[in-house]
Amino acid sequence: MIHGIATVLRETLLNLRGKQGSVWATLVMVSLSFVVFDTFLVITWNIRSILRAEQENVGMEVFLSDSTDEQAARALADVVSGMQGVRSVYYVSPAEAEALFRADLPDRTDLLDMLGDGFHLPASLQVSLFDDYRTDERMNSLAAALGRLDGATEVVWGEDYLPGLNRVTGALRKLDIFAGLVLVISISLVVANTIRLAVARRSLTVEVMSIFGASDAFLRMPFLLEGVATGLLGSAGGLAFTALASGMVSTSIGHGFLPGRWMAGVLLLGAVTGFVGSWIGLRSGIPRPRR
Amino acid sequence: MAEELVTFDSVGRTYGSWPAVEEISFSIAPGEFAVLSGPSGAGKTTILRLIWMGDLPTSGSVEVAGFDSRRMRSADFASLRRKIGIVFQDFRLLPDRSVHENVALPLLVAGASPASVRKRVLAVLAEMGLSHRRSSLPHELSGGEQQRVAVARAMASHPVLLLADEPTGNLDPETSRHVVDLLMSINRAGTAVIMATHDPRQVPPGMARFLFLERGRLVDPAAWQETR
Repeated sequence: MIHGIATVLRETLLNLRGKQGSVWATLVMVSLSFVVFDTFLVITWNIRSILRAEQENVGMEVFLSDSTDEQAARALADVVSGMQGVRSVYYVSPAEAEALFRADLPDRTDLLDMLGDGFHLPASLQVSLFDDYRTDERMNSLAAALGRLDGATEVVWGEDYLPGLNRVTGALRKLDIFAGLVLVISISLVVANTIRLAVARRSLTVEVMSIFGASDAFLRMPFLLEGVATGLLGSAGGLAFTALASGMVSTSIGHGFLPGRWMAGVLLLGAVTGFVGSWIGLRSGIPRPRR
Repeated sequence: MAEELVTFDSVGRTYGSWPAVEEISFSIAPGEFAVLSGPSGAGKTTILRLIWMGDLPTSGSVEVAGFDSRRMRSADFASLRRKIGIVFQDFRLLPDRSVHENVALPLLVAGASPASVRKRVLAVLAEMGLSHRRSSLPHELSGGEQQRVAVARAMASHPVLLLADEPTGNLDPETSRHVVDLLMSINRAGTAVIMATHDPRQVPPGMARFLFLERGRLVDPAAWQETR
């Protein structure tokens, strides 16, 4: 088994030896395709990060009636804490609400002053939710449940923009998948063509090995490894170039680069694409008994 | 009676609508030397391809070393071919590999260890008188030497059957005689040999069984001799 693997690796290197021109040409082409894809990913990833930050800020605010005193409000907060999807509840007293208003809108404090000492902002409960519960449907039903509580006068939860935010995030995810599929198909065809040429160039070797008892897997393996290596190196090259370019423009356009998990995904995509390409390329070329 | 090594039973093989061989029946015993003779296009190479199952019959059946053409699974082709050595008229040596590497090929594809490959290659090269050429590339050898390397490669994995397809076709008469002597000595050592040639006089009468082909069919040796 080990000797077989060593022989396959040796054959893979022999495949690559003597056709360095076409190997480099394919690598450059695969790398450039990945530069385009990676750039697209960086852009969508940054947009999605912004949107995610917005979504994470989305919570619910339950405004309480004037008749709800602090003790009743805190009891209500305990009830809300036990509801499904609720991560935490924070009670905002009228005095704290006013302080927050003054801190957030320092230019508009005159509004409060004009209303006089008798006016006070309503107390509220700020409800933070688990990520899974930030969908339109779940937030709608939770808001309805909160609105039915004694002492609650109004529930506000960003119903005006959250559905749009979710739609944009979903569309970006679909766009990434679509771009990935286009990339897989186009690079697979490039790799398939390279492997087809490699098999044709080494047809004598393949034929002689087949005649002397090489198994189908043994004949295919060097070309499959070549395809995987091409895809992997091409995607790594594309990532490296995109990271370099990203670093150079980051001073003028503030953004983040892809996280490690995404980069690993890109490398995996490269390897899979190379494998698929070489598999397609090997559909003809490996001798089979004629029936 | 020993079980036959090769059995053809009413074998036919067509390529498109052209019948390359028809109704071929014969058998070869282990250790036998058979000469398959006939003019160009008679079907000699087709029969050799049917033996190593590069092609499968379109009618009838071929059985070689226990493998039946009607029941071949994908992995069986490799297993069968590891029991057969093949020598071609055009040698089919890999031009970018040394003599040693060419001879080692059948052993490497079978997954043999490097130490056993080296030992066997050195032994078989010594038997063929090629030890001094082991680092040479094929294009640095004479035609006779290249054919001996091809024979060494075919014999490397101790096959039970050696197929030789016009092994002297590209060689001068003197070298041809050496190659035929080599095949006969391999046969004397116990390996069955089937040699396809358009010139049966290369093998002395009485040293082999002769099978004559004419337009894809086996013909009676006496009748064949009369037409010559």
